[in-house]
Order: sequence, then C-alpha cells, then structure tokens
Amino acid sequence: MSLALSTLLYEWRRYMAAVMALALSGLLVLAMTGVFIGIGKGFTATIERSSADIIIMQPGATSLMGGPSGVPRRFIPLAYRNPQVIEVQPLDGAGGSFQSVKNVDPTMSQAERARQGAPKQEFVQASIIDTTPGAVTIPTDYSQELVDALRQPYTVAIDETAVTKLGVKLGDRALYNGQTVTVVGITRGYPNMMQANIVMSRDTLRMLGQADTGPRVGPLMIKLRDPAQATVVAAQLNALGEGQWKAWTRQELADANAGAMFEEGILVIIIGGCVVLGTIIGVAITWQTLRGAIMANIKEFASLRALGVGMGSLNRIVMELSFWVGLVGVAAAIGLTLLVQMLAMANAVIIALPPILLLIVGGGLVVIAMLSGLLSLGILKNSQPADLLR
Amino acid sequence: MSKTSTHGKHGDFAIEAKGLVKRFKSGKAFIEVLKGVDFDARHGDLTMVMGPSGSGKSTLIAALSGLLRPEEGRVDTLDVDDLWKLSSGKIDKFRLDHCGFIFQGFNLFPALTALQQVEVVLKFQGLSKGDAKRQATATLKEVGLGNRLGQRPSALSGGEKQRVAIARCLAKNPQILFADEPTSALDGENGQIVIRLLRRAATEHGAAVICVTHDPRLEEWADRVIKIEDGVIIDDQRRTPNPDATLASH
Repeated sequence: MSLALSTLLYEWRRYMAAVMALALSGLLVLAMTGVFIGIGKGFTATIERSSADIIIMQPGATSLMGGPSGVPRRFIPLAYRNPQVIEVQPLDGAGGSFQSVKNVDPTMSQAERARQGAPKQEFVQASIIDTTPGAVTIPTDYSQELVDALRQPYTVAIDETAVTKLGVKLGDRALYNGQTVTVVGITRGYPNMMQANIVMSRDTLRMLGQADTGPRVGPLMIKLRDPAQATVVAAQLNALGEGQWKAWTRQELADANAGAMFEEGILVIIIGGCVVLGTIIGVAITWQTLRGAIMANIKEFASLRALGVGMGSLNRIVMELSFWVGLVGVAAAIGLTLLVQMLAMANAVIIALPPILLLIVGGGLVVIAMLSGLLSLGILKNSQPADLLR
Repeated sequence: MSKTSTHGKHGDFAIEAKGLVKRFKSGKAFIEVLKGVDFDARHGDLTMVMGPSGSGKSTLIAALSGLLRPEEGRVDTLDVDDLWKLSSGKIDKFRLDHCGFIFQGFNLFPALTALQQVEVVLKFQGLSKGDAKRQATATLKEVGLGNRLGQRPSALSGGEKQRVAIARCLAKNPQILFADEPTSALDGENGQIVIRLLRRAATEHGAAVICVTHDPRLEEWADRVIKIEDGVIIDDQRRTPNPDATLASH
C-alpha cells in the first residue's frame, strides 16, 4: 500500500471534511440533474411503455402531450397504406378541473363539516386509452382488470403519486369539469410531478364532451405486424409522408423527448449553476483540508526531503492522496445521493441516476480533488529540512 | 550482519569544507552564524560537533549536507567537487544516494508501520518491492526492532521511534550520516542504544558519522570532538573512543 493511501486510511478523520465537501458537491449536482431527468422520465414513461411501435407526429414535435404534436385526421388512412401497419389510433387528451367530493351528512353541524376539511380542486391533464382488447393506446404495463374497469362509463384512473394531491382514493367519486366520475384504478410508475394526470377511456372522454371530433387529431399510435421492423417501417412512413409528418420509433421518441427537456434554457442555468457552485465549494474546502493535512505531516515530508527524496516525488504523493480523496468522495456522493433518492421516492419524486451521469459527476469530483491537490502543492515548499535542524 | 557493506577506507576524507560563511537576516541586520568554518570528516569516524545553542552547529551540518546554501565557501564530498555547484535536483539525488539523517524529533509518518517507514525511502531509491522489504527487515533487525516491524509510531516508545528513524537511514547504506541531537529526546538507556548504533555505523560500515550534540557525555564514543562557538571552531581533538561506555540517565 502506498504512503498516500495508508495516510488517508489511517488519518481518515483529517480528510473527512474534504470527502464530505466532495460528497455534498456531488450530491448537489447529482440530485438536481437527477430530479430533472426524473421529471423527463415521468413524461417519457408514457412513451416508453406505450404499445405503439411507431408514433406519427407533427414534424418538430418531441412530446406526446403539451405542445402541438397532432396531425390532420386524413393521415390515419394514409398510414394504413403501409402493409406492415395493422392498427392506427390517434392519442387524445384534454384538460380540466378535478374536484374531490366529500360525503356530507345533512344532519352534521356546520362545525363538524368544517372539521372534514374542504374538498380539493386541481387542474389535471386527461389522457385516454382505447378499451378494445389489445388496443395500441393501452400502455404495456396496464393490467386487464384496469382496462376492464376503465371500460365502464365515467371512470378514471389516477397515479398513486396523485392520490394525496387530488384528495381521492380508490372508489371515490369526484367532479371532472363538473361531471361526476369514479376513481376505479390507481396506477404505479406514472409519477405526476407537476400537473396531475388522469386516464380514462376514449368513450368517457367523448361522453364528457372533450373528444377530438374535428379535422385534427392527436399523435398517431401505430401497431405493426412485426415490431422488429419498426425502424424500417418508420423510414418507409417518413418517405410516404413527404415531410408532412414525422414517424418515430418508440425508442427514438423517448430519447428525443428526454433530450428536448435539456434544451430549455432555465434547466441549463439551474444545473450549470449547481455545477459551478459545487465546484467552487468542493475545491475550496478540499483545498483547505488537504493543505491542513499536509501541514500536519510537514515534518515527516521534510525528513524525507532530508533523506534525498525530491520535491517531484513529494508532489506525486500529494497528487496521489488527492486522487484517493476524490475516489472516496465519489463513493460518498453516490451513497448520499442514493439515500436522497430513496427519500425522494417515498415522496413520489423521481431522481433518475443514469450511469453516464454518475460517470460524468464522478469524474468531475476526482478532477476537483486533483485540482485541490494541485493548489495545495505550494504548502510543500514549507517542508524545509533545514528547519528540522534547530 | 545484514547486506549493508562498508564504504571508503577508514580514515579517508568523506567530506571537506572550506571557508563556510552563512548569514541570516535578523530585522535589518545580518547575523553571521558561520564565520569561515573549515571542516572535514573521515570514513569510519564518529565526529562529534559540540557547542552551545546558537553556536552554528546545526547550520554547519545543514550547509555540509546540501540543505542550506552557504553564502561563501565550498563543500567537497565523496567524489563531488563543490556540492553547492550542483542543481538542487542533483543535490537531492546526492543525499538520496549517499546521506542519512537523524533528527531530534523522529519525524515518522503516523500512518506507516516501522517496516513501511524504512521501505518508503528504499523505494524512492529505486529498489524493487521485494528488495526494499528484505533490506528494511534486515536493517530493523540490526537496530533490534525485529519484533516491532508491524507497529505504527503511536505504538512505539521514543527510543524505538528513534531506532526506526536510524534504520530508515542505515537501510540506505549511507556513506555520510548526519545526526542532529539524536539522543536529546531520549532517556539514558535509549540514548545509549542510539549512540552505540551510530558508533557501529562508523566502525562496521565505514560511514562518516557527523553528530551534533550539546551532551558532553556522548564524547566517550567519539573519535573526534569538534567544538564550535559563535560560528568559529575553537577546538578540534582526536580521541580514542570507548565503545563500552555507559550513558547515565539524564
């Protein structure tokens, strides 16, 4: 074991401040970026778990909902011209107010009613599925029971993360745009971090008066005879569309959807700010800690110099030490972030940590540590062996 | 005995210095700590440099060993003509190859075991891992610490720590060994062990041992006693050492 590593392990308390500074810088960046990726994942979840092999949208659109992604209705028969296409259904959706309903006993006093709390009203986004068996609009992870339940008129499903927000539970009634609906399903894995999302059948949406009936429809969900051909067929469909539409394979769209979020200027500013702050804090604290730790061993370093060990070798020891501090910092950062991730998950906030993010932030932390080491090298000049001779 | 070998011929000059002058700035004035000192030391000799504090004895060995550049004078050592003409890197290399240092404080890395303390220096000298370990173990046994190899400084007594520091020097098999008050932080018994080890380094390994001390009782072991006061050598005597002398507890 090298001198640097032995020192770090034996005097770990001395280096704790540096490790914690790195860990917290890492946490800051990982958690912030992870939250945003998580929000993106919430949006892309509907794409990734859709049964559609290909999705046709307006050119330029990268998101299923929110934004002009729909196409003219006449594109539906056009898409069927490809022999691989066996089903085309437009995605439909709407928005409205969602209000929980309290069962009010008319014999209650006013005070007792007040104690029940007020009903909640939220604006929600509604999206649809077709309840015909095997429909292309049904997400792959929906159970048959859920589809069957949604087939009943005026029924909706909400995600478990929206239960508290909307103030309803399974079986409760609620008002959607003033009309009574029943919550018949609770989904898992479709987190609603911003606006809550409710799912209903196309027929229910029609009965509520919000279905697309005009010349334009939402994005087209397309099922293929052979899903493995998706890439080929998407290219054929794009050629067929002559630029009027864009056909995406499911994975392409999910990737574009996640990427599109980071084109938002504000996200770049927030994450960029975190990176800059994390770097400054990390470097400052790690630098000072390393300086102090080296200073504490300065006599030992001086005695090595007296024995003829050159400045370059001592510099290398310090750089190696910084490297190890960085590695331990990365481990601590990832550990802390996983902890925060669990905590967030319990509160329905997704912090997504793709390996590439861990790699980039981990590498960054090691660079920060090495940079701090580089800044601390000056202190080694104090290792004057002549000072030991008095 | 270990693999360590002897150097030079007993009685050959290991180090020769002429006209060393060193000044320190003190406020606006300069204090001359060395006032044209001529000095030499021979292989196989335990040369004792004695003097009151502030007499310049530590500055002298700093200038002799390439740690502190004197304003005037030259140091010829082993096969090097005028040490101070070399670049600082070359001076480091010279010390790495040929010099050992023992300080009053032991200056051992708290994180390393006795064995590792010695190994570290040997590895910097370019020894392979296996050779460094073998050499370090042999040297630690030579200083009587064969059973303390795995101990960290916190588990060692002051005397043992100084012996580790001595092993760290001896393992390099130095031709010149500088010791600065090596016994003053130790009790009589441990001090005696240390001075005997230095004596042995001179007699058996032929090293030129230059030991700075203010402790007159160490004179018993010396081949030569040089007295320095106010930056000038005032006395230089050869004597016959008594290797069996005892050092009473201070």
